[in-house]
Amino acid sequence: MAIEVEMATTKVPEVRDITRIERIGAHSHIRGLGLDDALEPRQVSQGMVGQLASRRAAGVILEMIKDGHIAGRAVLIAGQPGTGKTAIAMGIAQSLGPDTPFTALAGSEIFSLEMSKTEALSQAFRKAIGVRIKEETEIIEGEVVEIQIDRPATGTGAKVGKLTLKTTEMETVYDLGNKMIDSLSKEKVQAGDVITIDKATGKISKLGRSFTRARDYDAMGAQTQFVQCPEGELQKRKEVVHTVSLHEIDVINSRTQGFLALFSGDTGEIKSEVREQINAKVCEWREEGKAEIIPGVLFIDEVHMLDMECFSFLNRALESDLSPVLIMATNRGITRIRGTNYQSPHGIPIDLLDRLLIIATSPYTEKETRQILKIRCEEEDVELSEEAHTVLTRIGMETSLRYAIQLISTAGLVCRKRKGTEVQVEDIKRVYSLFLDEARSSQYMKEYQDSFLFNETQTGQMDTS
Amino acid sequence: MAEEYDLKTDELIVRKWRNKSTLGAQGTWQVEVGEPLAGPVTSSDSEVIKENCSNPVFMRKDTKTSFQWRIRNLPYPKDVFSVSVEPSERCIIIKTSNKKYYKKFTVVDLDRSQLPLDGSALSFTHANNTLIVSYKKPKEILTLEQELMKELKKLKGTGDGDVDCKTQ
Repeated sequence: MAIEVEMATTKVPEVRDITRIERIGAHSHIRGLGLDDALEPRQVSQGMVGQLASRRAAGVILEMIKDGHIAGRAVLIAGQPGTGKTAIAMGIAQSLGPDTPFTALAGSEIFSLEMSKTEALSQAFRKAIGVRIKEETEIIEGEVVEIQIDRPATGTGAKVGKLTLKTTEMETVYDLGNKMIDSLSKEKVQAGDVITIDKATGKISKLGRSFTRARDYDAMGAQTQFVQCPEGELQKRKEVVHTVSLHEIDVINSRTQGFLALFSGDTGEIKSEVREQINAKVCEWREEGKAEIIPGVLFIDEVHMLDMECFSFLNRALESDLSPVLIMATNRGITRIRGTNYQSPHGIPIDLLDRLLIIATSPYTEKETRQILKIRCEEEDVELSEEAHTVLTRIGMETSLRYAIQLISTAGLVCRKRKGTEVQVEDIKRVYSLFLDEARSSQYMKEYQDSFLFNETQTGQMDTS
Repeated sequence: MAEEYDLKTDELIVRKWRNKSTLGAQGTWQVEVGEPLAGPVTSSDSEVIKENCSNPVFMRKDTKTSFQWRIRNLPYPKDVFSVSVEPSERCIIIKTSNKKYYKKFTVVDLDRSQLPLDGSALSFTHANNTLIVSYKKPKEILTLEQELMKELKKLKGTGDGDVDCKTQ
């Protein structure tokens, strides 16, 4: 049974806004590279602190990416742990904006049982190349006459809705799905609005209010625009421009056709013939002026996790003119190249290193550390007293920046539990004694090694390279 | 493109097209002549938006001598409708004086043979909530269809019942 709820113009029931709850990540305070128009780095800006030389270098790379003419350049960001390598990469991603593809992956992500290493790398490369192309879509454009939404009496279950739209010439009733009902109430669409709906995706955009409703002065903001009621047919075909990645085109064209598509779940490996065909097609589109290629950025973090095969694949892949700008980051010094017994700087073969532009990051000074901790406190919404801030900076300098950052929210919690408003030195001391940092933990291990399990196997160090 | 003919009367029952989208995805069937396809309703369909079943349904169904379009679910008197030819845009326009229905469509067969649209060949009737618009086929189209029919007669139809499907 369903209760019918007629919605009056002014009484649109407020639906809980479906907004994504943003969580605070390690680099969520980064909003850009913090450079001015002349690419000069500001000391503290957009969440970035210090690392002036490397930020400036990243800014030059950024200009090159925005320019879009140079293909297949590779950049290595090298530096000690906790010196802002990933932050710089995130800064680049943020400054590029949503239109340029930015694909980030960690070096260990490519090792999968379902896919070969090189396939995973190829896919990542192709995800980082965007194609701007025109496509025809069907849209519905009209003035809303009536919205009617039926809710089940039990309060749960599927809602059913009807939407009546009109133009100057005709009127049509549409059935609404659940998703449409939600987005209609989110957009606060009401009778008298002129809207367009993308028929395939269901995306709604409000064009304004109809002139015929100009007399209703209720519920109207200053920015309300009045538009004419559309003419002619409700459904129209319209050309829209959107960006897809080469990988998405690959997937569309490699799906098994017909009913067999039901049984082959994920895409898996894509045949190289399909890729070649698509490359040819995209080049053709570009020559005809139908499409535009937007080379993006592929960021590989912890690049020392890649092995010899991957590096030689990268050597080759960078030579293609359809390759993105590759940014890698590593915190290793001279170490063994994975998959060989040879030692090399950063664990990367010399021939690949030779193709790279290397940006080095250096450890933060005390002043910078203090500044970063301040930014993180704001980001994590923790108030710190002046003394506690100094103590935390000392901890950051003596142990590591990451450890100090971790203490912020834990100290904040301890402070809240004792009903304080500002984190004091006491709270910092408390969490400092509760949680060990890496150095103290190692010290502890050395002292009590004998009482741990399996302590007789003391041969060699852990092999991480 | 796929066409279906009645084996006894030689009438065209269905003509439909399927094109690939710009990016290479397989499109859905576009019915030019015959009943619109009513596929099984999947769960993803109900997610978005579609026309209510009480709306007018537009379809084309030809006879031997004329192109014919039927619009069902139009419960208005005949004098509400006006059907006219727009030679500049090469299309036929159906209007209603009560502003309930409006449709602009082209005669694809005429476009393909690049023949002009003639207002005098157009007529319409209304009965049983259905508006029927007829456009007399010109001579050129009739001869073309006769030739096509001759070609089609040479083809051997499959026997009755289900067609053998090769198992995978």
